[in-house]
Amino acid sequence: MPDKALIMLRRRSIDLRWAVIFSIIFFLFFDGVTARCDSTEKVSTLNELITLFDSSSCKECHEKIYEQWEKSHHARPLMGLDDEIFMTKYLKNGVLAVKPGVKGTKKNFPCFKCHLPQFKYATDEVAAEIADAILRDDKASVRQLTISCMVCHNEKAVVHGRPAKNVVYGNRDLPEDTGHVVKKSPLLKNSLMCGQCHGLGPNLEFETPIQCATLYGSYLHAYIPSGGTQTCQECHMKDGNHYMPPNFNNREELSERLRQSLPMEVQTLTYIFEPKEGDSRPMVVVKTKITSKAGHRIPDG
Amino acid sequence: MPQATDSRSNQMMLGPDKKLGLIRDTSIQPFAPKEETIEIPFPTGVTNAVIKVELTYQPRPGNIYPIHKVVRNVSLDQTK
Repeated sequence: MPDKALIMLRRRSIDLRWAVIFSIIFFLFFDGVTARCDSTEKVSTLNELITLFDSSSCKECHEKIYEQWEKSHHARPLMGLDDEIFMTKYLKNGVLAVKPGVKGTKKNFPCFKCHLPQFKYATDEVAAEIADAILRDDKASVRQLTISCMVCHNEKAVVHGRPAKNVVYGNRDLPEDTGHVVKKSPLLKNSLMCGQCHGLGPNLEFETPIQCATLYGSYLHAYIPSGGTQTCQECHMKDGNHYMPPNFNNREELSERLRQSLPMEVQTLTYIFEPKEGDSRPMVVVKTKITSKAGHRIPDG
Repeated sequence: MPQATDSRSNQMMLGPDKKLGLIRDTSIQPFAPKEETIEIPFPTGVTNAVIKVELTYQPRPGNIYPIHKVVRNVSLDQTK
């Protein structure tokens, strides 16, 4: 083979080799970035879990929304009616109970699938701390575990794939100079956003299966087939209000909301029923009719 | 209310750690008005009555959220 052809061939081989090397390096680098964006290391202390999804800085620019959220049940997902820690009785008795002398583990908390979604990033050490806090009735610690801004606006904001790390998902894409990366997620205005936690029925993926809320199931299989057209957000987050009623701790407000959602008609008729001669039965007939304007069964749970 | 068993018997269960599935659902459903007719016989000699109809929400026994209260004075005497 002529020398020139040999040189060309050798050069082409070297070029090809470098191309392959660069491709491998690029792939490893790119894949590494994706992996870092996609995975979050688990935390091993309660304080780390609280910090991981701490959204208190959102208040600086979104004060009104933050204050609405603070009054909502999302700000106190582990505090049940009348400010009691709802998990206490389940950790003391029953199939989820923490046995004496044994530390709590993640298996004691299937409820956190919905009541504390960020718990997926916790280790058993964190579970043990939370169990201990609950059993000691340490409300100050338990109250710090919230469904904070970044739970909905990151962790739960993407169902096709995974949310990117350090991205706030909202209703539009915004430039990075706003202080944080904001990307649009159309899920935020879709009922499925709420449905991720507000229940389809049995949760069979756990060693101890649980069933709590079935509200989204009712929405999907009763409201929609009957012709319903509104989303959860249209009724429970009007104009983007993050108060998200109902608020079970505001009794008058809840009663009024139920009054509006369940109008009731009453009719009465008094007469004397006489099925046969001489058998007179004076009576009053009361007819009631309750109509629902809600997008799901009432009550649920 | 939705009534659940643990799917191992027909015994109704209470608590998320026990419920799995539904066996009966008496809740008020979307677009499905719930109507009831109640016949109340007058005691002998009684011709007037006060009918009170109350609808409440009770998530826990004794924890009552009032919703509606309707009061009607009824009489067998149609002149009243």
